Amino acid sequence: MADDSEWVLESIAGYLGSPEWMIPVTDFMENKCSVFDDEDENKLTYTEIHQQYKELVEKLLENYMQEVGINEQQFLEACSSPFAKSKTLQTVFQPVLATDDFQIFRSLMVQKNMELQLQALRVIKERNGALPECLTDGADMMSELEQQEMRILQEVLKRSKEEYDEEVARRLQFEEEIGCTSSGSSADKNGFDSEASASAQSTSSIDNMSSKKTEKQDQLRSAENGEPSSAKTNTVSSDKRSLGKDSGERKTLPAVTAPVKGSEPPATLKEKSGRQTVESYLAEAQREAGISRPFNELSATEQEQLQERARYLRQQRDKLQALKKEQRPKQPPAEEPTAAPAPAPTPTTQEISVEEKKKLQKRKHLAEKLKEEVIKK
Amino acid sequence: MGEVQKGLFSVIEKLKGTTEQELRIVLLGLDNAGKTTLLKQLASEDVNTITPTQGFNIKSVTCHGMKLNVWDIGGQRKIRPFWKKYLENTDLLIYVIDSADKKRFEETGLELSELIDEENLKGVPVLIFANKQDLATASPASEIAEGLNLHTYRDREWQIQACSAVSGEGVQDGMNWISNNIVNKKK
Ligand SMILES: Nc1nc2c(ncn2[C@@H]2O[C@H](COP(=O)(O)OP(=O)(O)O)[C@@H](O)[C@H]2O)c(=O)[nH]1
Ligand SMILES: [Mg+2]
Repeated sequence: MADDSEWVLESIAGYLGSPEWMIPVTDFMENKCSVFDDEDENKLTYTEIHQQYKELVEKLLENYMQEVGINEQQFLEACSSPFAKSKTLQTVFQPVLATDDFQIFRSLMVQKNMELQLQALRVIKERNGALPECLTDGADMMSELEQQEMRILQEVLKRSKEEYDEEVARRLQFEEEIGCTSSGSSADKNGFDSEASASAQSTSSIDNMSSKKTEKQDQLRSAENGEPSSAKTNTVSSDKRSLGKDSGERKTLPAVTAPVKGSEPPATLKEKSGRQTVESYLAEAQREAGISRPFNELSATEQEQLQERARYLRQQRDKLQALKKEQRPKQPPAEEPTAAPAPAPTPTTQEISVEEKKKLQKRKHLAEKLKEEVIKK
Repeated sequence: MGEVQKGLFSVIEKLKGTTEQELRIVLLGLDNAGKTTLLKQLASEDVNTITPTQGFNIKSVTCHGMKLNVWDIGGQRKIRPFWKKYLENTDLLIYVIDSADKKRFEETGLELSELIDEENLKGVPVLIFANKQDLATASPASEIAEGLNLHTYRDREWQIQACSAVSGEGVQDGMNWISNNIVNKKK
């Protein structure tokens, strides 16, 4: 039997590098990673997502082994062979080990989350020719405010992604109904449902949410506006340098002029229109973020700008996602988000607001890591 | 999926190829009992910056050559329903009680007896820490044992240990019990 070990392992390792494995697993991670931060304490939702991951991986492996005719015994023996202990193979098998090792799983997810954020930031940089200052300036600039900003940015990206995913799911389902494929794989279903349906419920409010976030962001900026800063020139002109082929459809860039620093309207311009709703959003946002500053200095124009900005960010994320999907040979079967029995992970949503101070510290850590990464590239 | 799950589990054991044995320990008890403090004490970390747990913490500590993976799950009422998701494959339950919180003795006793009835904890040894013994108002461990009817537990090994998670007193005695009664048996 020892003879089998090598080809069995090679076969499975090969599978772990194939699109048949990569696509569903990567999709799963990208869909679920946004709640994974690098705080010490784990959220209860992590466990639920880990369970879904286990089910997905088991399903995939089971299918593959059946397909190529590897039985469990062979796999077991192969795994105990010395060959299986090589460093390379251990790395390749990491995603499998993650099914049983929460800590590995968690670190994979945190890493994936950071990757996505970085990708989005890179696109922004490419498009705008500048990054938010919190990503380019010296370490001492990484004030708490800027960390908040990072978090808001992440939140916007996350929401836009959720929205996008939902759209994709809907579209795929539509295609499916037209008669492309017959059945969605149940493994995939297991993997994706709960979050997809959660985002489905909140679609209508996504615009509000993201604008709320960005308002907050802007507010933060204006707070630090006192100090003079070399406002980066991030004008629409960056379109030329952007990804090229589809730059034509992006005309609404102005709002994105991210670091609003230095271009702040004078205080006298500030008016009170639309305050009620904004205030109620903000009250919530502030609670979430633990900001205690009152929010009543946003002009309507600013609000509009911010909404634009949120839209833009969403576009960025979408483009990214679309690009990735394009590169893939074929789509996995669609998930139907709304049909999900989704054991709503509600208990955690409220519990996220742990102790703000600790949180800020962690956030700072994450932001610093991000910054490092961006500067390196 | 049961078949495969088992299969995958053993595969992973093989893949990991570690010779080190591991124990999975869950640390439960009401909120404010001192679970997280105990966890940090076990991991020799600072116990002065602890905030109420909303989710769960995991630490791995080495005890007599065995790796203990300790899972500290938040104990607030609204998250107690989640406890049972963490009980699978558990080798030992550590249950922490605030010995000075007499008002909640009954509540903590109820929670414990529910845990004891969990299928996944069938026969699983339980170590009870009668914590916060440094407080003047703390009830002695013997009294708590009586209140909990520990003497009626016949389907598993159990131990109650007085301790102070803050000072660390008594904690090592509890760990010694683990190593004498669980680790050695598992080996
Ligand atoms: N006096 C005293 N206080 C303790 C002891 N252990 C924990 N505490 C305190 O009890 C509170 C709750 O502790 P924590 O570990 O968060 O409890 P948990 O909710 O069970 O995780 C904290 O303020 C701790 O400092 C102890 O042995 N003695
Ligand atoms: Mg705790």
